[in-house]
Amino acid sequence: MRILLHGPLGQAIAREVEAAVAAGTKVGDLRRRLGTDHPLAEKVLGRSRVYSEGCFRDDEHVLSGSEQIEFLPPVSGG
Amino acid sequence: MSVVAHLEEHALDPQLELAELTEAARGDGAIVTFVGLARPENRDGAHVDALVLEHHPTLTRQSLEDISVACAQRFDVSHVRVVHRCGTVPAGEPIVFAGATSLHRRAAFDAADYLMDRLKTEAVFWKREVGDEGSTWIEPTAADQAGRDRWG
Repeated sequence: MRILLHGPLGQAIAREVEAAVAAGTKVGDLRRRLGTDHPLAEKVLGRSRVYSEGCFRDDEHVLSGSEQIEFLPPVSGG
Repeated sequence: MSVVAHLEEHALDPQLELAELTEAARGDGAIVTFVGLARPENRDGAHVDALVLEHHPTLTRQSLEDISVACAQRFDVSHVRVVHRCGTVPAGEPIVFAGATSLHRRAAFDAADYLMDRLKTEAVFWKREVGDEGSTWIEPTAADQAGRDRWG
């Protein structure tokens, strides 16, 4: 699964990461896993919205494994 | 009524944008505009070389459009024009042009005020200041949020 990380998350972790997700994995699971793997980014991850396939997703959304997921931290505004 | 909301990857020319808005405003009695500039110092007084505005390939443009359309629907204006930079903006350069035209001035003043309060808090950018000490990410201030909250 391709994960895009925007703004400060992209700087703290990487702009793009690949992750293998098991069937039934939810957005919340992935969020926690990324936070565990990257503890300095955990707080921003917790405040980030998740976007995939043209929709914002909540933590209960079940990942397909092939979709592209984006983590969007709180915006700075213009 | 017309709405222009544009994401600009290169230099923004406020004079050109004003000319476009003025051309569109024929018949109106008022044009109100705002130009935001990249400040050479941050809020702590530290020197800033540039502002970097990272954007999303689709959501940023959508946010500019949504805010501009909401403005046009809320106020008695004829034209709304928002042009916003993305990428690296050197200190002193324009970041955003926001303007509105109306028959009478009050609507245009309120529309421009509304545009900036919403852009400052909701436009989908992630900004960082780049200076001598490296770069620092920016979040909306309490004042920005208070400005946004005025409009409900």
